Amino acid sequence: MVYCIGHTIISPLGEGSQANLEAVQAGRSGLKLYTHRFADVEPFCASLFDTPQSFVPLCIKSVEDAITNYQLQITNSKDTVFILSTTKGDNLDLITPAKTIAQHFGNPNAPIVVSNACTSGVCAQITAMRLLEAGLYRHAIVVGCDIQSRFIVSGFQSFKALSPEPCKPFSPDRQGLNLGEAAATIIYSQQPMANSQQPLWTLEAGSIHNDANHLSAPSRTGEGAYQCLKDVMEGITADQIALVGVHGTATMYNDAMETIALERAGLQDVPKSVLKPFFGHTMGAAGVVETILCAMQANKMVNDQMVNDQMVNVIKMLSGFGGVNAAIRLRCE
Amino acid sequence: MEQLIEQLKAQIIEALNFEDMTPADIDTDAPLFGEGLGLDSIDALELIMLMDREYGIKLADPKAGKAIFQSVRTMAEYIQANRTK
Amino acid sequence: MRVISEIEITPTSVVLNGKPIAVETTGEKMLVELYRRFAGDYPKFFKMDTLSRLGFIAAEILLKEPMANSPKPTAIILANRSASIKNDTDYMDTISDGKYYPSPALFVYTLPNIVTGEIAIRYQIQGETSFYILDKPEDLEQILLSTFNIQPSTSALAGWCECSYANTFYAKIQIIWNN
Repeated sequence: MVYCIGHTIISPLGEGSQANLEAVQAGRSGLKLYTHRFADVEPFCASLFDTPQSFVPLCIKSVEDAITNYQLQITNSKDTVFILSTTKGDNLDLITPAKTIAQHFGNPNAPIVVSNACTSGVCAQITAMRLLEAGLYRHAIVVGCDIQSRFIVSGFQSFKALSPEPCKPFSPDRQGLNLGEAAATIIYSQQPMANSQQPLWTLEAGSIHNDANHLSAPSRTGEGAYQCLKDVMEGITADQIALVGVHGTATMYNDAMETIALERAGLQDVPKSVLKPFFGHTMGAAGVVETILCAMQANKMVNDQMVNDQMVNVIKMLSGFGGVNAAIRLRCE
Repeated sequence: MEQLIEQLKAQIIEALNFEDMTPADIDTDAPLFGEGLGLDSIDALELIMLMDREYGIKLADPKAGKAIFQSVRTMAEYIQANRTK
Repeated sequence: MRVISEIEITPTSVVLNGKPIAVETTGEKMLVELYRRFAGDYPKFFKMDTLSRLGFIAAEILLKEPMANSPKPTAIILANRSASIKNDTDYMDTISDGKYYPSPALFVYTLPNIVTGEIAIRYQIQGETSFYILDKPEDLEQILLSTFNIQPSTSALAGWCECSYANTFYAKIQIIWNN
């Protein structure tokens, strides 16, 4: 088990986790139609920053925001490791930006980039938990970020995977996904911060499974996703879970597969958090953005006494190309 | 038509990386998906792109591909009727 | 952690557990030669990008060894420095100015973890598949240690799998048991 000691989200909906939560609660969406953003691509609906952002400065801003908010002085420590979650990094380069970010903060350790397709943001948190539990570091700074490009949009269009309008996860007439941009940071630690004012969460368990079925389509039985859910639910029951943050991309296959996996795990009646209609699919950032918001949503449910004392667990699940699935379980008290 | 079929077979082999295969190995009337050539969903998307690139045919709805991609012959007939280049 | 078996592949050499395997070709042609010799029954190989072919061939040769294949690895953990850059560049060619025909068959390989998926499908490995981008191969050590620390029963196909340009690749992949 490791402790979250700080977090932030920077997205087209706002800067800071709280601003993003308020935007979601107010029903604001970052999704817009873009007709001329990239040459040649057909018009597409996505959640993009108004002013195009550069990858490295956006990641740095996100880390700075997280450490400033929580008054942390750990970035240059030899006990701290930087873990970057991204699919395409800075114009297809992943390791150079990771090193630049770690160096910017004076961190002496080799950074780690997790590139496990759309599950990267959850996998990066699992990597952080393992490194801290093994005693190799005391703190891990997990940064999730992806910037949209002509490269990515053209590819998803060639896959006929993009919805021409705002996505409708789990709706029978869903037409596909929308892409999005964001940067988000979660800082994990072996110990809780003594002066922590805000209720954060602990990361309790994580699991990664491959469907071993197809590179771009999920298993029809939701096998990998179900195995992940089963693993992270070890020792607890469905009635101890306040919220499940689903992937919910709004592609036909993903949502059908997730529905099956959730039913197989007995989670059909647990409330779900579905965030793609607000942020689009932010790829490498998705697991980090959505974990933060699910934890905050669950905290609000606890504060508003919408759930009982036992229901303090939150599950975040994701699936991606390459047949990979991942899930983590948080405790929010 | 026969010339188009031969040309199409060569293009399919190249687009889908069927190393070791020659146009003669592809049965004009055999199903492309399932048993015949055993193509999958990514191959179907690649065939949609091939029709755009080589024949100027834009297929917006991938589901429409099902009828067109039954065999090399049905694909050639569709191209014959709809090509813009 | 115990290394059961190890393969090292460069564009001109293949070494299995310290013993060279003789090859007649080099570069990407050599991967095809190895496919015909060690697999040969998996036409999907020809659809793969070079990074996936490299990882697939390494797994194919390693898992043909009777010792290594029982029990089958439960996890696939690979890393490299340049992600999927070679195939990314090939995909870029399909969206160049004036010739904009994005190829879905290439786009699917524009993620480095696809190679882990290819091996998982081939061997029906439904455990963990992870891909890391690291500055140097030694940086994988701490990741493997911490993975095994939390999952004591894991056996893994793990190592470095890199393809930076056409005909420029390097793999050093091991089968590791955690006992």
